[in-house]
Amino acid sequence: MSQQVNILVGTNKGLFLYESDADRQKWKLRGPFLSGWEVYSVLGDSRHGQRIFAGTSHLAYGPSLRVSEDFGETWQQIENAPQYPVETGFSLNRIWQIVPGHSTQPDTLFAGVDEAGIFASHDRGASWHELDALTKHPTRPEWFPGAGGMCLHTILIHPINPQRMWVAMSAIGVFRSEDGGATWQARNQGLGHAATGQPSPEVGYCIHKMVLDPDDPDTLYMQEHTGVFMSTDGADSWFAIEEGLPADRLQHPEMMPFGFPIAVSQIGDLFLVPLESSEQRTVEEGRLIVYRRVRDGVCWEPMGDVVPDEPRHVSVLRDAMTVDGLEQEGVYFGTTSGELYASLDRGVNWQRLPGQLSRILTVKTWCVDA
Amino acid sequence: MIPIEVRVPALLRDCTNQKTRFTLEASTLDDALTRLVQEYPLLRVHLYDRKGALRQHVLLFYNDDNIKWLERLDLPLQPGDRLSVVQAVSGG
Repeated sequence: MSQQVNILVGTNKGLFLYESDADRQKWKLRGPFLSGWEVYSVLGDSRHGQRIFAGTSHLAYGPSLRVSEDFGETWQQIENAPQYPVETGFSLNRIWQIVPGHSTQPDTLFAGVDEAGIFASHDRGASWHELDALTKHPTRPEWFPGAGGMCLHTILIHPINPQRMWVAMSAIGVFRSEDGGATWQARNQGLGHAATGQPSPEVGYCIHKMVLDPDDPDTLYMQEHTGVFMSTDGADSWFAIEEGLPADRLQHPEMMPFGFPIAVSQIGDLFLVPLESSEQRTVEEGRLIVYRRVRDGVCWEPMGDVVPDEPRHVSVLRDAMTVDGLEQEGVYFGTTSGELYASLDRGVNWQRLPGQLSRILTVKTWCVDA
Repeated sequence: MIPIEVRVPALLRDCTNQKTRFTLEASTLDDALTRLVQEYPLLRVHLYDRKGALRQHVLLFYNDDNIKWLERLDLPLQPGDRLSVVQAVSGG
């Protein structure tokens, strides 16, 4: 049976789908779906039929969660979507992340939201409840939003032990659970403290994106506001991995290796798109350069200018870079100017996919049997 | 019960069986507002916040009047009345 590769692209004006066969040489663009809605999160889920979940939001009409069972042609709004109980006083502004549960929990999904919190569904997305131990954590009064809001944007689940989970929030930090979300502990030792004005050293870390190593579930990587970090003890402690990045603190202590997304391939390649600075938030000198760090490597390497012929004064948002998990792994990212790029050779060469979209908020891949 | 015309923005039509104009039967304006979200419960989350207050950028018009400025909502409906959901000017 052949495979169809889908790239699900959420923008601030709807959802787009790119389709290709496993060769990924020719891409067909479909959409916009959910036109007019911001799509901050999307998930292609093949566990029960072929379903796409999309976290939608709108300035006037608020957040909602929608599902399609026909590759985006029609959508159903989920009535019992994530919502904070009124008595919490929290406002649910956007759904930032939707992920499937552990492989032993085929009916489970998790959602990360702004204001920061995590929700779970154990009935294939039909109804949702908050894992409220996180927002009942004693540090909650000191949680502070980043420029993108106070968002829980990353949910990682241990591949063997479904009880162990990590979440990352901006500008709060990493929390880990050992009991499926019943309790949470802050895990931020070694990270750079963000300027939140809050006194607690336990929180106040502006995680931009975090990924889990595909082979070693004790190893995590993150792009954080103040740098790029790695943990080899399940997030108990973090250390910087920045050698080779344009803002190398070994040579320029005042500079931070700033950026938003981070992606890891099945063979352990890490990918980043460094930006000039927190103040600038675009690529340096208009050169859109992806950096790669190979497994067990000590140094990041620039992989060449994605668009060498013209300047691109753009950014890449935290959830807008991903991989597809195929043997010859594809790497994809979308820009704030609505361009989508793909590489099939570990980031050396890049192909621009057809279409000029709106601001790209999220990029996810979804491989299905054709 | 008086049939009135309800208008909703196209962005919300998946809450109203793909209709942007439809008929709703009610006796008073207050009754119509209640029946609107009872009949189309998915609309509630888009029109009101969790405390039941109208969202900041959503306007409800009874004929040509913003209901926010009406002194009372128990107005008896008349044939030909309209209830409109309007997105407030919210761009730059």
